[in-house]
Amino acid sequence: MSAVLAAFPGAQRALFRRYHVGGCSSCGFQPTETLAEVCARNGNLPVAEVLAHLRASHAEDHRVLIEPQELARRRTTEPDLLLVDIRSREEFEAVHIPGSVLLSQTVMQELLAAGTNTRPIVIVDHQGRHALDAAAYFAGHGLQNIRCLRGGIDAWSQEVDPTVRRYRLG
Amino acid sequence: MNDPLQERLQAALARPQNLGELPDADAVGTVGNSDCGEMLRLWVKFREENGRKVIDRATFQSFGCETAIAVASLATELIRGKTAAEALALKTEQLAGELGPLPPMKIHCAQLVEGALRSALGGPARAEAPAATAPPAPTLMDRMAAAKPSAPRIVFLDGDGTGAAR
Repeated sequence: MSAVLAAFPGAQRALFRRYHVGGCSSCGFQPTETLAEVCARNGNLPVAEVLAHLRASHAEDHRVLIEPQELARRRTTEPDLLLVDIRSREEFEAVHIPGSVLLSQTVMQELLAAGTNTRPIVIVDHQGRHALDAAAYFAGHGLQNIRCLRGGIDAWSQEVDPTVRRYRLG
Repeated sequence: MNDPLQERLQAALARPQNLGELPDADAVGTVGNSDCGEMLRLWVKFREENGRKVIDRATFQSFGCETAIAVASLATELIRGKTAAEALALKTEQLAGELGPLPPMKIHCAQLVEGALRSALGGPARAEAPAATAPPAPTLMDRMAAAKPSAPRIVFLDGDGTGAAR
């Protein structure tokens, strides 16, 4: 499974959402297990079908990402495009993309209350490692037009706006 | 995938009902595991009807499993107009409603909804302070917070390591 996770970083999320595998201790898997072994002890799931689902989910993850340059262009033409920053308050207050909002309970409530919200939303994190999970959560709650900034605010700093200072967490 | 259950799940997820926090809820119940992707929180608001206290509205938030989201969506509709006792009498398979029979590995998802319902309604019929009816369980916000260091030290990479905001 370690090789599967390396090839498909969103594999655990994809397995859990479709097959309820990998979410907790009772349905988790070890990195040393093979995909066939995991499938066998989870109701003999068809390996080929599971693999196809992982590939499709991986491709879907890529479709959710938006390049920094594309986001910059869309922001000039789509005034209702909302940037939701999921980093910590400390990071947000230190540096953020102008016009973005920090995800809070209030913002979360506003986003979810609409249910089938079609407003374009882009999730921003530090370096692109957590945004897909947040996007999956919101998509699962009916938000239909949600994307993630590829590479997070760090990529935005390097590729769009160098005045947004790059940082690391010490 | 031409799995009939999957098709029913997709249909339920296409129009999820009763999502989000209910700010003026009378009761709230939470089930979940901080190490696990599955957690669910349920809010319940009552109203008086013919001398009975019935559920006026129930809402939920969930993370992870689409089956739990689908069941919660259906269950929060199902319990409208019922008393707490009537809602608690519903069996797991009744909460899953039109999803139909769930395979063994998915029954746990419906039980998650049943657990949240019991957590919300199992205490006092009307809680004065919703937060007191159940210990707070992790939400997505908590998960994301847990993934970050508390009070992180931010070191800018342009030579100015003061951490000052611009």
